[in-house]
Amino acid sequence: MAMEPIDEWIKRHEKEPEEVAKEKLNRFLKAVELKVPDRVPIAGAAGDFLCSYTGITWYELSYSLTDKVENAVLKFVHDFPSDWPILLVPMMLEGFALALAFAEFPDFSNIIRFLTGPLHDVLKDKWSKWPGRELRDNMHPQFLGGEFMKPEEYKQLIDNPVEFMNQVILPRVCEGLGKPGSSKWNGAWIRAGIAMQKVIAFQINLFTAIAKAGYPIIPLGTNAYAPADVIGDFLRHPTGAMLDIRRYPDNFKAACEALVDPILKVATAVPPTPPVPLFFIPLHLNEMLPPKLYNEFYWPYLKRIIETLVSKGYKGFVIFEGDHSPHVDTLLELPKGWGIGWFERPKDFIKIWEKLKGHTIVMGGVPTTLLSGGTPQQIDEYVKNLLNKIKPEGGFIISPSIGELPAGTPPENVRAYINAALKYGTY
Amino acid sequence: MRFNHWNLRHDLLNLVPISYTWLEQPYNQKGFYLSALVLIFGDVSMSMSEELVKAIVELDEGKAVELARKRLETEDPLNILNDLTKAANIIGEKYEKGEFFIADLVMAGEILKAVSDMAREKLKALGKRREVIGRFVIGTVEGDIHDIGKNIVVTMAEAAGFEVIDLGVDVPPQKFVDAIKQYNPDIVGMSGLLTLAIDSMKKTVDAIKEAGLRDKVKIIIGGGRVDKYACEYVGADAWTNSAAEGVKIMLKWIEEKKMR
Repeated sequence: MAMEPIDEWIKRHEKEPEEVAKEKLNRFLKAVELKVPDRVPIAGAAGDFLCSYTGITWYELSYSLTDKVENAVLKFVHDFPSDWPILLVPMMLEGFALALAFAEFPDFSNIIRFLTGPLHDVLKDKWSKWPGRELRDNMHPQFLGGEFMKPEEYKQLIDNPVEFMNQVILPRVCEGLGKPGSSKWNGAWIRAGIAMQKVIAFQINLFTAIAKAGYPIIPLGTNAYAPADVIGDFLRHPTGAMLDIRRYPDNFKAACEALVDPILKVATAVPPTPPVPLFFIPLHLNEMLPPKLYNEFYWPYLKRIIETLVSKGYKGFVIFEGDHSPHVDTLLELPKGWGIGWFERPKDFIKIWEKLKGHTIVMGGVPTTLLSGGTPQQIDEYVKNLLNKIKPEGGFIISPSIGELPAGTPPENVRAYINAALKYGTY
Repeated sequence: MRFNHWNLRHDLLNLVPISYTWLEQPYNQKGFYLSALVLIFGDVSMSMSEELVKAIVELDEGKAVELARKRLETEDPLNILNDLTKAANIIGEKYEKGEFFIADLVMAGEILKAVSDMAREKLKALGKRREVIGRFVIGTVEGDIHDIGKNIVVTMAEAAGFEVIDLGVDVPPQKFVDAIKQYNPDIVGMSGLLTLAIDSMKKTVDAIKEAGLRDKVKIIIGGGRVDKYACEYVGADAWTNSAAEGVKIMLKWIEEKKMR
């Protein structure tokens, strides 16, 4: 059987990992500068498929900081090579509220931005549920959020968002913390620090090993958030936030306004870091809002955050969850080359591309459902077609629509995706 | 044109010396006057019905609840429930046309639920029941515990006249099978947000097939990660990213079933 492009690439990873990593970095940097690289950069995907393919459980991926997990991840990035594997190991969930609660501590506000299993064990937060704890071992960790703030409390949030998060919300959400200032509270934070140290030590080891396997290290630099999503994800539940926009519009706007500065404080706690000084924002309420509400309650505050960070030398990496098409024109208000927009499932991906090419680095294009449910032939055909329409312009990163593939995804389909991108992606 | 007509009727109603306050009197005392009014001005309750539908579609929560409260003092709660169905249909159309978004459905869902709860309470007090147009079993599939979307579907489907059996979240395939045996629904809905939900949906459809029940039900899947590829893979009859569109598909199925 003839060697396919992916097999040749795997061979090169084994033989000359440093050279391969250098090529990947150059490719990525070119794309991020809206230029034409040698080939379209390929983003990877993991999720349930990583677990099912390598035989580890979600519990292990979330909690077990061991060689077993490290080896599983190394096998995964070996067998399914990519230019930019986006790996959450150990598994991480939304936790930006924690970063906000410690916005005054630039030395660690950014580190405590994600919830991990070990941190969840200490905090016992009600935002998230984890395998081996509230969920079965083989279940995906899940962020649920919830309603932890009453509409009457907007004023408190507006007056001092950081203190409100730290002193009112955290004790309410995190059963492991007890009353602020109590010995339980103090002890829990020491434990949280120890848990985070362990996770960081594991990640440093893991990412060093991945780098040796032919991957440049492109960290998610720093973190920011859309103010309206802070309210929806951590305080009022998305449903509550959507109702508040109509029932208490002035309070909602004032709260978004008050959240801008603390979010920027967290984001700028980490200086722009080479090779690409990314700041990461996942958007949640975006697709749910009609343009009228998006333009009034969501975008102005998000725009200010992105603009400020770009002016300070950072580049955005923003996930536009769902179908962002109705709001896509607003992105043109941002400076050219502001960052990467990862579009999950716009109604028409090519339309997004046509609108944003040469302005925004566009990422996405391949439905995860096609990868899990299609055939290798269908995937090859789809990718060929997509790249035909998108090339020869630069500034594109091909990627599954979201970084998670279901457990039943046939490995030959993921190979077909990488193969097709290698075959048809050269400029 | 229809709209102008409505406005005209509305104005006429306001000119009638018997004001809205009058309508708050016990029904039996004014039945005669009301029918006389209908004789003179045509279908008066129709215009009040349109007013309620309009308030709901315009997402005017305060007005909708107030209108419903007033009408429920005198009117048959079934009329109100029928208006909810009308409103839900229009909302569904608006979503399909891209005029409405999820935030609008959430608000509409709140209003539909508030009014529906009031009407159903009254219905119960009168010892009446609403005729259901079809029976619908729904749940978030195994491994997934998200339910925002599912809850909107439940409200919209109830408003449309379905009897809804909500199995909750993280529902294993066997529980769907058992529910089909127990409730004999026309339609089964599977909801899920996570990518893993697609696999769970497939397992559930397979379990329904194995139990020999696949021909007895139509299956619709819904959620953020669901699309036509997922639908083919899962073996469902339809897919949707929208509660409103989903309910529309279900209504079409019920129509088709009646024709057969």
